[in-house]
Amino acid sequence: MKIGESVIDGLTDVRSNKLRTLLQTLGVILGVASLVAVQGLIDSGRRQTMAFWSEIGGLTKLLVVNMPPKETVLSAKQLASSGLTWDDALAIRQIPHVKMVDPIATIRLPVRFEGYNRERDIAGATPDYMLIYKFYPERGRGLTNDDVEKQSRVVVLGDTSARLYFGNQNPIGRTLYIGDVGYTVVGVMRRKEFLVDNGEYNALEWMNQLTIVPISTVYSRFTGDPDKHVGYINVIVDKSDNNEKTSQEVHALLKRRHGGVIDFDVYNRSARLAQAQQQGRMFDMLFLVTGIVSLLVGGIVIMNIMLASFQERIREVGVRKAIGASGIDIAIQFLVESVLVTGLGGGVGLALGVVFAQAITALVGQPAIITPSMMIVGVVSSVVTGLFFGMYPAVKAARLNPVEALRYE
Amino acid sequence: MSAAVATRPDGAPIIRLEGVHKVYDSGENAVHALRGIDFSVAAGEYIAIMGPSGSGKSTLMHIIGCLDTPSLGEYYLDGTAVMRLSRRALARVRNQKVGFVFQSFNLLPRATSQRNVELPMLYAGVGKAERKERATAALKRVGLADRGRHLPTQLSGGQRQRVAIARALVNSPAILLADEPTGNLDTRTGAELLGVFDELNTQGHTVILVTHDSNVAARASRVITIVDGLIEDSANAADGATNAASAINEGTAA
Repeated sequence: MKIGESVIDGLTDVRSNKLRTLLQTLGVILGVASLVAVQGLIDSGRRQTMAFWSEIGGLTKLLVVNMPPKETVLSAKQLASSGLTWDDALAIRQIPHVKMVDPIATIRLPVRFEGYNRERDIAGATPDYMLIYKFYPERGRGLTNDDVEKQSRVVVLGDTSARLYFGNQNPIGRTLYIGDVGYTVVGVMRRKEFLVDNGEYNALEWMNQLTIVPISTVYSRFTGDPDKHVGYINVIVDKSDNNEKTSQEVHALLKRRHGGVIDFDVYNRSARLAQAQQQGRMFDMLFLVTGIVSLLVGGIVIMNIMLASFQERIREVGVRKAIGASGIDIAIQFLVESVLVTGLGGGVGLALGVVFAQAITALVGQPAIITPSMMIVGVVSSVVTGLFFGMYPAVKAARLNPVEALRYE
Repeated sequence: MSAAVATRPDGAPIIRLEGVHKVYDSGENAVHALRGIDFSVAAGEYIAIMGPSGSGKSTLMHIIGCLDTPSLGEYYLDGTAVMRLSRRALARVRNQKVGFVFQSFNLLPRATSQRNVELPMLYAGVGKAERKERATAALKRVGLADRGRHLPTQLSGGQRQRVAIARALVNSPAILLADEPTGNLDTRTGAELLGVFDELNTQGHTVILVTHDSNVAARASRVITIVDGLIEDSANAADGATNAASAINEGTAA
């Protein structure tokens, strides 16, 4: 007998035993809802993380930072090495799979324009900065390679900085004094926003606060630093599969260049993603265990009720066998029925799980989502429960002796 | 539906039992239900099997219907040696060659008449359109053309048994095997139903009725009486019926 026909028979049976079906499905509904909610939260959290990271360089970003040695007494070698430099950045650019390199040098200087006069963080950067951070000009232009080469006295402002210095005036073309040097404002960047904590906090506000000059001018106009030290270096790899390898190569290269001293660290985004997910696991586990326990209980209830109603179906099995059903036909029929019941519960549980997930994400201020993996979890968990707990009654029914089954009153 | 009538072109018997024994629960409590049954049924015959309760006639019916297999001996149904078939193959033989009619109808309670009649074809893997057509024809044949959408509970006892007959016929089996088909019906309805069997036999169907009612057995062309696991008498119908009736009386008195 075709499975489709078993489904028709199964549906007839499910329909004519509404209370029984309801009792059978309750456990499955709760179990599946719980699992779907977990999957939803995991997906939502991941999507949130990915969305944020894509704003600040994506998954292919390696972050190279200065990290002074931990020892209190430093060796001569360690003293000789003085941290990351612009030349390190240029060297990293030669490594295969490296797509972009953006060294950043930060310096704190007074900024003046008309009534405004305050110390601000000034970032020396390269044009790649805009691409890496998706930080594009709203008005005017961003930095160019020409600016870096010619050590041009141009400045690009984040949205908040522009308001801070110039109020409602148009900053483009104006001269902003940084330290004692006059810089021409060539661009104001588009506002960056990534709201967290129910929209109360903008995780990217620091970018709006930026005052960016060509990195070369930091050395030539302000520090006069011959070694051209940088605060950190953003490295973008061509694809995330190459993160690990490139990260090791960067590490090796810098170690060599720093005379064997490790006064830096290389952070790998992909590795951190895995780490971040690991941290969320405990919370997910709790839901997962709850879901699985509910499904187990639901499955046991299903098996129990199937076995209880088994008595009243023995004769039916006998009749079906008498008119030509094989043991496999009977087993399939019973399995289809239990999967129908759990599938029904799974459908309701899926909807309920989506509601749970939306409620929880709303509570913690994350955007609500419905992902394919939630559907898959819902469907697979309910079907597997049906198959697993339907197996015993199905095999039992399949093995019934037709003569005895027909005689059963 | 005359094409549905099963006859063996070579004229060989449609049923042949040779030295059939059936022993239940081997060991000290072994029950020897059948102790060597030999008989044949030709295509188109109308047979009644009679016997008191405990005689072994139910066991014999189960073996003829391929619900059970002999412990010893040979059984050929429509040319197939049933003895050595697997359970799956037996299910197939039941599906293709045997049409069962039970005393208590045994329709699926939640399925319509149409669906009940389609059931054997479902297990035979018949396509939907053909299934519908054949089920409708079978229902028409038993006079229930307008009852296809009814549930068993919406039908009278006689109508239910007619649905069961339609179900038994629908796969064009080699034999129609009926176990006390009038047992749950009043006399008049029972008589009407037996008329259906008579008609089917007239059309060429091989009919085997298991009964303890001599009036029912009287309609058969041959009566086989089972007593204590053996065939007592294969004389003509009238004699057989008388003998069987007296055997039943003995059984009741004992």
